[in-house]
Amino acid sequence: MADFLSGYSIQSWLESCPQGYLEDTDYGHGAGEKEPEEMLGNDTFREDAIRTTVQLVVGERAALAASSGLVNAAPDDSSKMFLATQTLDEARHVEIFTQRLLDLGVRKDDLDSTISRYANPNLVKFAEVLLEKVDKKDFIAGVVGQNIVLEGMAFSVFEMMHATNDGTNPKFAHTLSGTIADERRHVGFGENRIGSLIKEHPEKKAEIQKMQQDMTYHMLATFADSFKANSDVVEEAHSQSSPDAKAAVYHGVDLNKADASEMEAVLSDTVLGEFKTRLGRIGLEYLSPAA
Amino acid sequence: MAEVDPHALSEEDFHAEVHSFQFWLEAVEGYLGGTDFGFDPNLTDEEFSESELNYLVTTLCNYCVAEQAALQASSGMISFAPAPDAAIFLSTQVVDEGRHLEVFVHRLKMLGIEDPWQEITARSNQSLLKFKDRLLEFVDQRDWEAAIFVQNVILEAMEFTVFQAHAATADPITSGILTGVAKDERRHMGFGENDLGRKLKQAPHTRTRLNRITAELNPLVLSTFSEIAEELKIDTEDLGISSNYLATIERLGFST
Repeated sequence: MADFLSGYSIQSWLESCPQGYLEDTDYGHGAGEKEPEEMLGNDTFREDAIRTTVQLVVGERAALAASSGLVNAAPDDSSKMFLATQTLDEARHVEIFTQRLLDLGVRKDDLDSTISRYANPNLVKFAEVLLEKVDKKDFIAGVVGQNIVLEGMAFSVFEMMHATNDGTNPKFAHTLSGTIADERRHVGFGENRIGSLIKEHPEKKAEIQKMQQDMTYHMLATFADSFKANSDVVEEAHSQSSPDAKAAVYHGVDLNKADASEMEAVLSDTVLGEFKTRLGRIGLEYLSPAA
Repeated sequence: MAEVDPHALSEEDFHAEVHSFQFWLEAVEGYLGGTDFGFDPNLTDEEFSESELNYLVTTLCNYCVAEQAALQASSGMISFAPAPDAAIFLSTQVVDEGRHLEVFVHRLKMLGIEDPWQEITARSNQSLLKFKDRLLEFVDQRDWEAAIFVQNVILEAMEFTVFQAHAATADPITSGILTGVAKDERRHMGFGENDLGRKLKQAPHTRTRLNRITAELNPLVLSTFSEIAEELKIDTEDLGISSNYLATIERLGFST
């Protein structure tokens, strides 16, 4: 355990993150990069971007509360130190996505009300299931919920958003690149640290799998709500896009041509596939919400 | 990041600015760049006598106890921070405290300690452990005012005073580590003073409560200094540690 944790030291984090891919960035993107004028000038597109970004803030606030809460639940100091770096990563994500809301024209005084208005209730419940475990200082369940389920979801969502924005919004695509690199590290820690603990505590499997099942239910409901809400926006975006636009391919689907239901399907399939693989690696069975 | 003149900002914008991840990133880039576990990797260790080594190991072990307390307290306080920018600042503090613990543990390993965690437990100062328990009680009670005071004013002032004094006399590697750590502690004290300063303006009766906490905890701080000094046969008066600590607390406006 000690050897693998040395790869997750604060020194390694400093070298790879603040002194690595974040060096010379401004809120996670290149200095001077701005949101595209075509989006800022179109009320439908701008509102959709605000709604989407609010979900990112809600998710990252949950991740911040969970990772900081897990520091004190960790059974060893090396895990505490990794979780310290994760706490700051999540705080950075809260900060950069909150900054994006300001860049999209939300006034500072309206931040809280905007977040309350657009926060998806299913995403809020998803967070509550996780934070209940963290509040009880249940380290194993907390890390599975946080570093496998929440981070696994975030990783796939960010990758899909990155594919969508790569050709049209370099500022947001760059912001997402840094968060994807962070999430990859967090998921890696979850898989590496928890496998041995699950083996030591097989009696916890059923309870943790139930948590995963509940979180997955709320996640899929969030996806369904979100893609339903922006189906018109997707159509309008497709109608305005240039026929010569480069394909935005995500797991074999061209997001520049797919409708909202196809997007929802590819995202859900990708996340659930990742869950099955990652949970299998740590000795847990994926439970479908439909079971 | 665009150059920002802090004096041109409103109070609200000033706090958002100085409590941000961006601000932290730029601050630590200045003094951690080129270091490896907090010191210049080109430095080599000097020879220590047995008693010097014993002194240094005990001292570093107790620095680790203080940093463990700070890591647990700062991470625990995020869930009840009164504002989003306070939560972000505390997140930067969490990683600072984790880094301090890591660099001190790494230094212990460099000094030949095979199992630093076991050594920390064996050499922990009893008064410091009591202080840690009291701090974590305030955190568990989600008592922001008391927790931020004990953590970011008393504990940070204690650490800042000791680290500065020790850095002046330590070997080059330990001195380099302590100088970087003290810079972080200064930032943490600034946050505590600022947060409480605003609170004290709005609710002056808070000062009475905080002074009571100071009176309760100062004996633990001072006996930590004297217990270590007694064990190691050094005189804290000569180093001016106790008087510097008390002066720092008084300068912050709290009676000692």
